[in-house]
Amino acid sequence: MKFVPLAAAALATLAAALLLGPANVPLGDLTASPIIWQLRLPRALLAFLVGGALGVSGVGLQALVRNPLADPFLLGLSGGAGLGAVVAIALHLPGPWALPLAAFVGAVGAMALVYRLGLIGGAELDPRILLLGGVAVGAFAAAITTALVSLAEATELRNAFLWLWGGFSGASWTTVLVMLVYAPLPLVVLVAAARPLDLLALGEEPAQYLGADVRRLKQLVYLSASLLTAAAVAVAGVIGFVGLIVPHMCRLVWGRLHHTLFPTAFLTGGIFLAAADTVARTVVAPRELPVGIVTALLGVPLFAFLLRRWTVS
Amino acid sequence: MDRELIVAVSDLTCRYPGAPRDALRAVSLDVRASEFHALLGPNGSGKTTLLRAALGLVRPVQGRAEILGRPAGDWSRRDLARVVGVVPQREENLFPQRVHETVLLGRYPHLSLFGGVRAADRAAVERALVACDAVDLADRWLWTLSGGEYQRVRLARALAQEPKLLVLDEPTVSLDLRHEMELFELVRTLVDGFGLAALMITHHVNLAARFADQILILAEGRAVARGAPAEVLTRETVERVFSWPVAIEPFDGRPQMIPLRRHPS
Amino acid sequence: MRRWTPRTHLAGLVALAVAACARGERVPVRGGVAVTDDAGRQVTLAAPARRIVSLLPSFTEILFATGAGDRLVGRTTWCDYPLEALAVPSVGDGMPPSVEAVAARRPDLVVLYRSGPNVTAAEQLERLGIRTVLLDLNLLEELGPATRRLGTLTGHSRAADSLARVLDSLASQPPVSSTRSVAFIVWDNPAIVIGAGSYLDRLAALAGARNVFHDVGSPSAQVSIETIAARDPDFLAVLSDSAGPPAYASRPEWRVVRAVRERRFLFLPGQLFGRPGPRAAEAIRELRQRLEAAAR
Repeated sequence: MKFVPLAAAALATLAAALLLGPANVPLGDLTASPIIWQLRLPRALLAFLVGGALGVSGVGLQALVRNPLADPFLLGLSGGAGLGAVVAIALHLPGPWALPLAAFVGAVGAMALVYRLGLIGGAELDPRILLLGGVAVGAFAAAITTALVSLAEATELRNAFLWLWGGFSGASWTTVLVMLVYAPLPLVVLVAAARPLDLLALGEEPAQYLGADVRRLKQLVYLSASLLTAAAVAVAGVIGFVGLIVPHMCRLVWGRLHHTLFPTAFLTGGIFLAAADTVARTVVAPRELPVGIVTALLGVPLFAFLLRRWTVS
Repeated sequence: MDRELIVAVSDLTCRYPGAPRDALRAVSLDVRASEFHALLGPNGSGKTTLLRAALGLVRPVQGRAEILGRPAGDWSRRDLARVVGVVPQREENLFPQRVHETVLLGRYPHLSLFGGVRAADRAAVERALVACDAVDLADRWLWTLSGGEYQRVRLARALAQEPKLLVLDEPTVSLDLRHEMELFELVRTLVDGFGLAALMITHHVNLAARFADQILILAEGRAVARGAPAEVLTRETVERVFSWPVAIEPFDGRPQMIPLRRHPS
Repeated sequence: MRRWTPRTHLAGLVALAVAACARGERVPVRGGVAVTDDAGRQVTLAAPARRIVSLLPSFTEILFATGAGDRLVGRTTWCDYPLEALAVPSVGDGMPPSVEAVAARRPDLVVLYRSGPNVTAAEQLERLGIRTVLLDLNLLEELGPATRRLGTLTGHSRAADSLARVLDSLASQPPVSSTRSVAFIVWDNPAIVIGAGSYLDRLAALAGARNVFHDVGSPSAQVSIETIAARDPDFLAVLSDSAGPPAYASRPEWRVVRAVRERRFLFLPGQLFGRPGPRAAEAIRELRQRLEAAAR
């Protein structure tokens, strides 16, 4: 029952994303206009998919590290992605896919490094070590990135950072396809882990007594959530805040059980980011705002409102 | 007719990685259906280690731990959760939840991967709440419960697993007299009425003596005494294990321990 | 009626003297030269500069154009025009300037573009006793004043003034009525265009091309591809030394822009168009010619 209003909101958001924009597309030309088909539609779909991926990834990671302040980019992924992007620019790698691919590889590299740190001393992915390791790896990657930036050409790097700060300007059917092909597997793995993740909230030992194979669960959730995030970064740069706030919003409204939380977080994340991107590209037209700013400006009051409703009830 | 042997620990020796001494040394324990076992001993004597090893969470250096005839390490966690219901000493509560949601978590070992909650599951939850006298708490938020109510709810969750064995790790810590008595009486009722086996780690020597069928006393990883309360709780044993002078007085057919003052007035 | 005491007179005279020193140019010693640079500093040399390090390609060009090229003892790696500049030793890429490398050339004047890191470098050079001058050079209008001041400092005032007059008159020309529209694309993901208040925008206006993003106040801005398509420029101008279409031209989302579909690109060499310089008039002519050629 809860999905009906969400699905309706999703459709409404996508419709708004198609109809609104700096170019004036008369309604009659809607189905034939290349602006709609080549620009607005893939961009809206990509924003939706990335928002959904970040929302689901945030849910998974908050459950994994048992910390409501966890964000998908807390585990060093954004640092790794940034380093990958800068290396691609510094080496003048050719092709339009060099930057996203390098960012993806960088993010995955950071993920592997943090994973390895999480296994030190038989720690078995202790959440505290994951968090600390994530901060350390992120800082390390940022340091190397800064060193590279100071040694290489200035203008190209500035533009690489603009890309990294997140946005859907480069959206195309190809990037949509990449997400559609790539995201389902980690998504399915996370959804299948819904019940064990409910148990994990009690603590690792109680979860094991209630039947969760905690070691495998942590591995699967960590890998899936990180891969989803890495894919999102590869196509859209680093968009913070979505993975942090959307899980909380959904928990406040629909409760904390993961078999509800994952689907609602996907839809809510998608709606939120698609709406934010529409605002980002229309509110100061002809210019565009970075979408990460809009998510923060929209998200904070929304979250405060929900929090108030919940604490009053 | 022999009652079903649920947990069989024989000659178990365990050592944590990097530890100077064994945490457990050649400990044996048999728990059968309809038996209430109490595990006593000073802090650090290995009680929780014994629990973990018996449930396959710690690999023994020597000896065996078996559940229903199979080695504890061979059980998948899911299958084991359908046989043993544990009320751990500590758990976290990251996000607010209601009582009936928490008890439902006990049904998770019975739920299929993508299957939903069935009527049989809800019935099991209901039965568990009734058995623990917690039906009227069903819609309350966990954080509004008192200590005693909270323990009853956690016990109901373990019961919802429909286990053969209930394991409780120091369940009456920080409970007042009434709730402490109620909990022990509840466990006794479950053992007698439902044929469950129960294994409880507790510091409350006297209540263990009153309610348990068998007591195992551990000290520094070794089993000091095992058997019926009257056999086990002698003055010599208690004074040696707990390093404190006591007097033993019978009450209701069971030995009761009275600690003596070191510096009488 | 106020009574003027001797103390008031003295205070007044001191105040006047201080004011006179702060404002206007200090009277140089005989043979010396002085200018006020764009950081508000008084730059004074006992004699016209004989050993100059230039830390901006445009300044290097101006120095050669005014006949002071033989005084140059240091340049950046980017300074590639005119050809004679390549014979001058390089002191690095200048971003930020390597103070040691500059000092090693033993200059008596260092010319820097006024930016944050350069201000710091200038302070460090001054501490070593090396004179520095910081000049703005973002706009067409700033070419004239920069040229004049460099002329004063090098003792080539006549040549510099005549070049400056040409540049000033260029800067004061009104925009030519335009028949073609253009958009300058400097980056594709995200799309960054050049707006008003920039050198390229002025060049376009003087060459008879309307910058479709002239309404955007800042020199560069991020826009969506959709906006570019909606404004439908006749040409897309790209700073590039090669003549092939840029990589993004083959992507389907860019082909929504008519100029991309019809391959209407203007390739502007970076050396001539990438920075304000004394060859601004040549750049404008070049742009006008390419527009007409492409239109045919």
